[in-house]
Amino acid sequence: MTRLRRLRAEFTAERRSFLRRRTAVFFTFVFPLLIVLIFGVLVQTDGGGVGLFARPPAFYVPGYLAVVVLFTPLSRVGSTVARHRDGARFEKLATTPLRRWEWLLAHATVNAAVIGLAALLLFVLTLLLTGVAVAPAPALLLLVPLVTLATILFCGVGCVVGRVAGSQDGVIAASNALALPLLFLSETFVAADQLPAWFRPAVGLSPLTYFARGVRALVDSGDPAVGVALTNLAAVAALAVVAVAAGAAAVPRTD
Amino acid sequence: MNTDATATPAVEAVDVSRHYGDVVALDGVSLSVAPGEVFGLVGPNGAGKTTLVRALTGTTDATGEVRLFGDPLPAVDRARLGLLPQSFSPADRLTARELVDYYAGLYDPRRARDVDAVLAEVGLADDTAVRYENLSGGQRRRVCVATALVNDPDLLFLDEPTAGVDPAGRRSLHGLVARLADEGTTVFLTSHSMDEVETLADRVGLVRDGSLVAVGPPDGLVAEHGGRARVLVETTGDPPALGLDGFDVERTTEGFVVADVGAADLPDVAESVVAAEVSPDAVTWAQPGLEEAYFRLTGEAFAGGEAERR
Repeated sequence: MTRLRRLRAEFTAERRSFLRRRTAVFFTFVFPLLIVLIFGVLVQTDGGGVGLFARPPAFYVPGYLAVVVLFTPLSRVGSTVARHRDGARFEKLATTPLRRWEWLLAHATVNAAVIGLAALLLFVLTLLLTGVAVAPAPALLLLVPLVTLATILFCGVGCVVGRVAGSQDGVIAASNALALPLLFLSETFVAADQLPAWFRPAVGLSPLTYFARGVRALVDSGDPAVGVALTNLAAVAALAVVAVAAGAAAVPRTD
Repeated sequence: MNTDATATPAVEAVDVSRHYGDVVALDGVSLSVAPGEVFGLVGPNGAGKTTLVRALTGTTDATGEVRLFGDPLPAVDRARLGLLPQSFSPADRLTARELVDYYAGLYDPRRARDVDAVLAEVGLADDTAVRYENLSGGQRRRVCVATALVNDPDLLFLDEPTAGVDPAGRRSLHGLVARLADEGTTVFLTSHSMDEVETLADRVGLVRDGSLVAVGPPDGLVAEHGGRARVLVETTGDPPALGLDGFDVERTTEGFVVADVGAADLPDVAESVVAAEVSPDAVTWAQPGLEEAYFRLTGEAFAGGEAERR
């Protein structure tokens, strides 16, 4: 009960803090819209050709979702760690019963809720604006744990980034430096067969790859490939456990 | 004060050191604080006060041994501790009440105090709904103090609690600390205000360059190291010399300072002032304080929180 009370207190404080940062809320929801408008409406992905954006529109759904699942937790949690450190908040929390993993779990839950909403908005916009046809099927519900677990995964990574980077500015630079290569080299917007053969094994090192494969298995074919989606969901879940453990260990306790 | 000298010390530190590269922030500090005692740590900025608080709360990687309530740091029941870090800056978009409520939520409900009562104690009963970012500097600091009190701690670390607080707020917080001590809370207080620790602390530690140069009751430190009282003779114009054998007389821009003047010496000093036909604007007999003790122990003046070589 006491643990739940601590988690609720941390969750509530973080939820309020986030929702009162109007700029952060605005861009969390507008950023995905921009991505869909730019790639789905202006560039107009199209099947049958070669090169970038030449696949059928449904191919790029994992990429659109990856934008929010990857960038937002990395930058938000990283910045939060830096802000907490600058304000001696971890110093104070270290003398309370709150555990490091509890802190991270509460923040990851807030992020999962916010990013879940943003991802839902993005998914609906994608269907409306890009002409992607996804047949309603119960298997589509697997998108929920995929988005949730991937968000938690990158919250853990964001925590490590926040620990390593020396300042809030440093966090933004570091998270961008990490997220941009991941976004384009994880079978999201660029298929593996468009990359040099020698590089293709490296794609498997990106956690985002399993998220992209899982989402694509659900939306980019006539019938959802549930087996493929579940396999990749399991991979994302395992990586999330590792990332949360690393992130919790990275939460500062000392100066 | 409500101390029990025979009980297990609330704080016990043995040979605690902390180095940042070549910089020695703490150099073999040992001290003990009894339950219910108010211990004041005073020294200029950069002397090592905050590093010592961090070492005692386990928030810096110091060497040496620290025990709180007899337990080594990792085994300490953290619900018994309260901490106000020096540079604490909580979430600024939360109201005062939400902030204190957040920290209350981190403790067992049996331990957590009523949030409104805590805010009233620090003088913020009328500002509970104001966001932290919209509070004045002094009000912010009082919210921060409230977050350290919300679990009714047995051991309270306050690192410069009155920094930026106006005189009225300072007096209010002094009263609060005194009341907590009366109720049995052990308070470890750092300050760069000599007056503050002299007023509040049962014992004072004077710290300089990461070392404790003296520890004792304020009166004892002053009596042992502060020297005797001084007479300040303020005059206008160009006063003649005072004929006072056996006294150290210093001319200043305001007049004279006669050092080491005990009560029995006052008639001699007064006679010499009259004999020299000095027309004083004011004559003051100033008792020594911790500031003089600090100067005599370290050779450094204590002005505005910054040590100056004299």
